[in-house]
Amino acid sequence: MSSNSVPLTNTNTNTNTNTNTSTNTGPSPSPSRRRSAGLALLGSELTVLFRRRRTWAMLVAVALIPILLAVAVRLSSETLAPGEGPPFLDRVTQNGLFVAFTAMIVAIPLFLPLTIGVVAGDTIAGEAGLGTLRYLLVAPAGRVRLLLVKYAGVAVFCLAATLTLAVAGTLIGAALFPVGPVTLLSGDVISVPESLLRSALISLYVTVSLLGFAAIGLFISTLTDVPVGAMAATVVVSVVAQILDVLPQLEWLHPWLFSHYWLGFADLLRQPMDLGSFGDNALLQLGYIAVFGALAYGRFSTKDILS
Amino acid sequence: MSRNSVKWLPAIVVPVVIVAGVLAVPLQAGAAVDLPDKTPEQVLLMFSDSTVNAFSGTVEKTAELGLPDIDLGAGMAGSMGESTSESAPEGTAEPGAAATGALASVMELFSGSHTARVYVDGSDAGGPAKARVQIQDRMAERNVVSNGTDVWAYDSETNTASHLAIPADARATAQAKIAEMAATAPADLSTPSQVADRFLSEIDPSTTVSVGTDGTVAGRTAYELVLTPKATQTLIESVSISVDSETGVPLQVTVRAAGQEDPAFQVGFTEVDFSTPSADLFDFTPPAGATVEEVALPVMPEMPADEPKPEIPAENVPVVTGTGWDAIVEVPAASVPSELSANPMLSELATAVDGGQLFSTALVNVFLADDGRVFAGSVPVELLQAAADAQ
Repeated sequence: MSSNSVPLTNTNTNTNTNTNTSTNTGPSPSPSRRRSAGLALLGSELTVLFRRRRTWAMLVAVALIPILLAVAVRLSSETLAPGEGPPFLDRVTQNGLFVAFTAMIVAIPLFLPLTIGVVAGDTIAGEAGLGTLRYLLVAPAGRVRLLLVKYAGVAVFCLAATLTLAVAGTLIGAALFPVGPVTLLSGDVISVPESLLRSALISLYVTVSLLGFAAIGLFISTLTDVPVGAMAATVVVSVVAQILDVLPQLEWLHPWLFSHYWLGFADLLRQPMDLGSFGDNALLQLGYIAVFGALAYGRFSTKDILS
Repeated sequence: MSRNSVKWLPAIVVPVVIVAGVLAVPLQAGAAVDLPDKTPEQVLLMFSDSTVNAFSGTVEKTAELGLPDIDLGAGMAGSMGESTSESAPEGTAEPGAAATGALASVMELFSGSHTARVYVDGSDAGGPAKARVQIQDRMAERNVVSNGTDVWAYDSETNTASHLAIPADARATAQAKIAEMAATAPADLSTPSQVADRFLSEIDPSTTVSVGTDGTVAGRTAYELVLTPKATQTLIESVSISVDSETGVPLQVTVRAAGQEDPAFQVGFTEVDFSTPSADLFDFTPPAGATVEEVALPVMPEMPADEPKPEIPAENVPVVTGTGWDAIVEVPAASVPSELSANPMLSELATAVDGGQLFSTALVNVFLADDGRVFAGSVPVELLQAAADAQ
């Protein structure tokens, strides 16, 4: 473990040099990185994350889901009977704001976990695979701080992905279909601004729902030096959890699965909003973060860093 | 190495703390409730003296009746759609479809678990009581809203709203009828405590009424009124009603089946709030784009009291044997609706037994004899078979 011996005054200059170098070298942070402030490390981590072409490709792919969905509905002459297809799909032609809701439902089971699995699985294993992990740790960042910063980076990506989905869905819906007051599940009608607010809240809800899964990805990432292995394992975990969640024989287990509330955001589309499930969900995700955070700490702080 | 073991410590401690917390919270909620002792009669009185007329809350229903856990809604919709398109011309409702739909919704009530939010406002003494029930489904919701003059039902999955207008005089008529019934009631039933007394003495031959362990329901302390059948040959172990210790509102009803650990049927609040719900909850206008159906109130034919009721042939009248919990109802073959015996869903759920078919649940057994008669009761199937053989 390295100590925080570098004076704080050096931070600014070092951040600048590092930002410049990381621009040039892409994913690998500069070996000269030295800083003591966690915020600066986080800033650099986010810069690296969001300057990667892969991150943008994934966000574009996420944005394509509502776009494809809306275009398909627009081009098709067939009108759907209520209740046919994914929830709300039959409402899309009457109100474009439903595109975002339908896209969220479609993306949650596989697509969002897939992108988050890639980012979370890459956190530690990616640095190890590139041989940059030891340089990161030579800098007086500390392993705990590095873990926290990596996790925060994944959390920010979760939010970015869900917001991208909601914004792209709303924009394409507004472009292709009429927009008007939205009918909630309870049959009550809310105005367009309130519906946009609920869209934003749904993005937050889904982000929170994915945080436990992100922590699992972080832990898996500390186990290996092969990033692809960590990504695949993380995605597999999400698929397994969702399969367990539909087996009626395991009903006692369902409330404990991190994926159990992934579609629970429907409660935000009721009138009045039902925040009961949100509280349960937040507690559950906190539990997963604590358990897998502790596991990741145990593994990462005792690991021999060879690459 | 010991330094490394210390670093693994959180990975062991955190799960242990979480498991301990998960186990401790329900224990804490269940323990340490000690209310002043009350007799069953006093608990009944609390219930009838209750002045709560407005509340909102979340109600959860679970049923463990041993019915197969199948997605009834989806299955019914699919089979109905198929049969309609095959056998009936478009736009013609199949007569069996309505019956099947009704059966499916009854079956739904008695299987699996459901959550509903309930809002009731009867605080306006002069005006009608308003109520709203929201049954929460996955990505869908069914609503029933009544503001006293109009009843709306809305199903978000099919985006249909049904409207029923309550005639202005219906409420007055109902109130008059209740007053009339109260007037003709025996003289010793004029106060709630007399009603409670009467109720207890009426059910005394068949049932033991006791006050069970005080507990917590929906975060409120509650008395538990337990009705235990005296009959030994019944599937029902007990029925318990939890009554809020402060307001006297029943918070939970639990039906236990003999030899089953989990309650066979339970409905109760998980959250309750005794403040008046917001008034705009009861204003419902069907959303634009929804299909709106008008439903007519079924008209009760006015029947003078002295006119004899239409004769039902004696052989069609259901016969009840026994009086208590182990009573058996026999429905003669002639009055069993043909849709029932021909229903494919029923034959799927029934199992073949000696002399007929058995539709078995944790609380009720229904025996469909081969000769068309139907026997039902909260008793083991052997008793139903014996009853069928006896005649």
